[in-house]
Order: sequence, then structure tokens, then C-alpha cells
Amino acid sequence: MYFVLLSVLAYLSTCHCLIEDGKVDENHCVRLKELLDSSSVSLEITKKGFHREVVTTVELSLDALSGVRVMLVHRWPRGVYLDPYQLASLSDHSDWQILLDSAIDLEVPAHKTSGFVTYVYPSPLRPTSRLLRVTLPIHGRYHEPTFDEKRFTSVNIEPPDLLCLNVNLCSFLGVEFNNFKPHTVLDAPCSPDNSSTCPWVRVHHQQKQGPVCLQFPVGDGSLVTPVCAGTLLVTMICCVALSKYMWEHRIV
Amino acid sequence: MGKLITHLAEKHALFAASFAIRLALVVYGDYQDRTMEVKYTDIDYHVFSDAARLITEGQSPYNRSTYRYTPLLAWMLTPNIYVNMVFGKILFIACDVLSGLLIYKILCLRGLSSETAQRICSLWLFNPLPMGVSSRGNAESILAALVLGTLLCMEAKHLLWAAILYGLSVHMKIYPITYALPIALTLRTPDTTPEKGTKRWRWRSFIDFIGCFLNRELFLFASVAGGVFCMLIAFFYCMHGWEFLHETYLYHLTRRDIRHNFSPYFYMLYLTEGTYPSSHILPYLLSFMPQLILLLVASWAFHSDLSFCCFLHTAIFVSFNKVCTSQYFLWYLSLLPLIVPHLSLSLKQGVGLLLLWFAGQGIWLGPAYFLEFEGYNTFLFIWLAGLLVLIINSFILIQIVAHYKPTHSPQRLKVE
Repeated sequence: MYFVLLSVLAYLSTCHCLIEDGKVDENHCVRLKELLDSSSVSLEITKKGFHREVVTTVELSLDALSGVRVMLVHRWPRGVYLDPYQLASLSDHSDWQILLDSAIDLEVPAHKTSGFVTYVYPSPLRPTSRLLRVTLPIHGRYHEPTFDEKRFTSVNIEPPDLLCLNVNLCSFLGVEFNNFKPHTVLDAPCSPDNSSTCPWVRVHHQQKQGPVCLQFPVGDGSLVTPVCAGTLLVTMICCVALSKYMWEHRIV
Repeated sequence: MGKLITHLAEKHALFAASFAIRLALVVYGDYQDRTMEVKYTDIDYHVFSDAARLITEGQSPYNRSTYRYTPLLAWMLTPNIYVNMVFGKILFIACDVLSGLLIYKILCLRGLSSETAQRICSLWLFNPLPMGVSSRGNAESILAALVLGTLLCMEAKHLLWAAILYGLSVHMKIYPITYALPIALTLRTPDTTPEKGTKRWRWRSFIDFIGCFLNRELFLFASVAGGVFCMLIAFFYCMHGWEFLHETYLYHLTRRDIRHNFSPYFYMLYLTEGTYPSSHILPYLLSFMPQLILLLVASWAFHSDLSFCCFLHTAIFVSFNKVCTSQYFLWYLSLLPLIVPHLSLSLKQGVGLLLLWFAGQGIWLGPAYFLEFEGYNTFLFIWLAGLLVLIINSFILIQIVAHYKPTHSPQRLKVE
């Protein structure tokens, strides 16, 4: 409790210092708003089959602004999953880190699970550059068999939200937030270690890209009777033939 | 004397060479992992290592999701964290070569000359499949060594050791539990009363049959193997609770992985999964029946030749299982060298069966690739290919059974 109180106090005092030092100049905030207004996020999906790659490209139209951190929030439908261990080994070799909002079962079919959210943080060591590209491997889940003609199921992948955190805090301290409309503020984990939440500015784009539709093959439910009959027939025949030969050649 | 030394040197050279090749593969694997996109090391190896790391941090190995093995394995691999990540792979390749040695010993006990035994044992030592699997960091070789150790001790009549190793191998992986039936049939007192056909009363012959299972040897084996198994279970249950039982055993028994695999049942279980919530237990039960019948018949027909019986058991269990992946094939491949010298197949026939076995898998891999990586709906073809794989495997097993010539070795008789 005291720890929380202390950290809040420490945080506020830092803010105070920042406000004092930087004078929260309006100019900076205007530039930030311009940056948000003109940024764009695009989503592209490569590879085929059950193992795909989601490539997100973020374009920040202004040159790098000091003190601005960005993050991508993906809301994944239940038809796909990310493998946390694969991600862990990938992030060793890439310049981003990822946080998942829930534990992921890698094996259950789509209808027995729910969607989840991931937060992708480009490395804070790297200055926020004009172009940011993050590639995430995703995997399709098996779906319930269908009974209609279409033997594929569609899974829509929404482009991620772009979130900005201004370390100079002009977004929520000092100047009123109204300046940032149509962008909104929401709470999200400050960093990939999920130790605290920060108010992030969620960027609204004028022309937001629609969802990308993935097609996954799905079992044909109308074949259930012939498949069951065929399977049982073949296994029974194999069983009888093998039993017969084993019995005939038994060692007494 | 000189001949003996050359002979020993030859044998040692064989094992040393096979170990060196595996070691070279481990070194190469490390190089590939560091430099290439496609990793050499098996994903399971990272699972084991993560579990071992959790152990060193005082946590449960089951905090690593998809760790579905005994905690013993994670314990064994803690040097991965303390010493070097390569430790586990060295352990696995050592077990692999040890399996080769055990095959050699069993073959010698079964009356083969040392030279022939070496040649047959090379089938395992220089087989690229186990070499690749163990150097990629898959733990199957530990189980192969334990099962072969059990068979060697049974063959040499070291019952106590056989029981300990058997208890341990069932603890490591549940599937050798089916060997209990042929082992019990081997250890029972031989029926010495002369057969009087129908004149004997039914209940009388039944009591005699049950009675022949009540002997010292069987009691010793059952109590030691059961004791080792139960003690390990109790120990780890105290440490990790229900999670241990569920992840290590119950998960495998109740496994409902509907994703495509070699099993002939895969599509049936996928289509009935969830669609008929009340009755999907029926296809599940029906898929148990052939496995059960075949294991019973194999036990009764071939229990007098335990190695052959265990080979058949494993091959049947894997082929007729509800889930079957390519690593399962290794379970019976380690027992194959034990029966090869007793097969009266010509080289041509043998190679033909081998090619047929590979062809079955190749035919399955085609549609599976198109489903998994190209996104074509090939479920129906995968199912048909799965049935074909089953038919091919059954055909190969029939050929093996029909061409198997058991020979009672002089050594065996002496021990008896």
C-alpha cells in the first residue's frame, strides 16, 4: 500500500518536474497531434494455410519526435492463436516485445476458446522511426465441421490500434485532452513486463483499413456417416485379418 | 586371444563411431540453430529445458504449458541450466547408443553370433531416423533404452532388474503398460497337466488357468514393478499434486487432439467432436476395440517370444491409435532389430516392405502438406491416406508374422 502511494508520489513529482522543466509547450503537443493525425497503420497477411504471418506497417508522417513511444494493440479472434513460446524465441532476434492478455491453449478448436489481445512494443532502445514494421506468426485453429457447401471458414483479422504514449505528458497533464480529438485515451500496460498501466492515446484514423479475411479449411459435417462407416469398416477388416494371421502363426 | 582383441576393438569401434556421428550432428545442430531460419533443435527440447529451468527456480515444471511428461525428465535435464544447454542432447544420444548395445546383448543372448549381432545392431546404430531424432533433442531414446533394458533382463532372467526397469519405463511413458499381459503370460507356471479335451470340467480348467498365475516369479515382478511405478507416482503427486497426474497420464488417455495426424480415426473423431455431444463417446469407444482385440490376440499367440510380442504390441498400439505422429514410429523401430534375424524374408521382400512403409507415409504427407501450408481443403484425402497407411501397416505386420521363425537359442535353454 505504502509502496503504491510512494510510487504515485514519485511519479507525480517527476511529472511536476517535467512540467516545470519543459513548460509543456503547446507547440510540442500540436506537433504530436499532427503526427497522430497523419500516421497510418496497414495490415498485410502473407503465407498460406494454417500458418500465416501478419505484417503490420506503421507510418509516422512526421520525423521522429523525441519522447513519443508507440504500441500496437491487436484484438485476435478465436479462430487463430499466437504461440507464446515461438514469440519468445522470435523477440530475442527482433526489435519488438510482446505482451499477451491471457494464457493461450495451443490445441483447442476455435469453438472452445475465446479471442485475446496482444500488445506489441517496439524496442524502446530504438528511436521511433518513420516506418515501423512488425511481423507476427499466427496459426489457424481447427473449426467445427460445417454442413453447407462452403468448405472453408472465414476469420477476420482487424488492423491493430496504434497507441501513443507521450513521455512529456502533455496529453493528460497540463493541457486539456480535448485538443487531441478525435483520438481517445485508454489505459493499457506501460511496458511488456505488465507492471503498471498508463494512459495511452489511441489514434483514430480517418480511413481505417477494413479487416483482412482469412480462409481456413474446415471438415465437411455432411460426411460424418460415410466417414464413420468407412473408418470402422477398414479398421475392423484390418483387425480381423491381422488377428487371423497372428492366430494361425502363433508360437505354441 | 589376438582374435578376441580385434573382435572387441571392432565392437567398440562400432559404438564409438555411431556416438561420434551423433555428436557431430549435435554440433552441426548448434551451428544451424545459430545461423539459419529453420532450427535443427526439436521444439520439445525447449519445452524440456524450460521445465528444467522452472525446477531450478523451485517451481512446478507444469507451469511450462505443453510439458506433458514426468517431472523426472525435467529433473534429469537440470544440468541443461546449471552446466550447458547441450547436456540433454548428449544424454539422449548416449541412451541411443546404449539402446544399440542392449540390442546387441539381447541378440547374443538369443543365440546369434557376435558378428551377426553387430551387423543387425548397426541397423539401429546407423539408422538416420533415431540419429536425427535423438540429436535434435527428443527424449524417445531414454524410453527405448528402458524398454530394451527390460527385455534384456527378462531374456537373461534377471527378474528383479527387469521389474525395476519396467516400472520405470511405464512411469516415463504409459504405452509399455500393454506389455504387462505378455510378461504375465511368460512368467506363469507352465501348464503341465495333460490335456484331456472336453472331459475336463470347464470351471476346473478355469481355476487351473488362474492358478498358474499365482507363483513367486510373477508375484515378485508385479510387486517390484508396481512398487516402483506407484512410489514414483506417489512421490511426484506429493510434489506437484493433481496437475502431475493430469498432465503426465490422464491427458494422454483422454487426449482429443482433432488436428490431422496419421491415425485412421482422425477425421471421424474430428467430425464427431462436439457435433453430437451426447453420443460422441460411441465412436471413441469403438475406436478402442480393434486395439484391444489385437493386443489380446498378440499377447496370447506370441508371449513365449517376449521381444517379438512387444514389437507387435507396440506396432499395433501405434497403428491403431487415435492419435499417431511420426515420432511414435520410433517406439517400434527400436524393437525391430530384435526380430529381423528371425524373419525368413528375402532381401528383396524386406526392401519392398520398407519402401511400402515409406510410400504410405509419403502418400499421407502430400495432402497433409497442402492442408497445412497451402490452405487446400484436403481433409477427405488425408483421411483416405490415413486408412491406406493403416492397411499398409497391417499388411507389413501380416508379412512379418507369417515369415517369423522363432528359434530357441541354446543359451536360453541353459538359463531356463
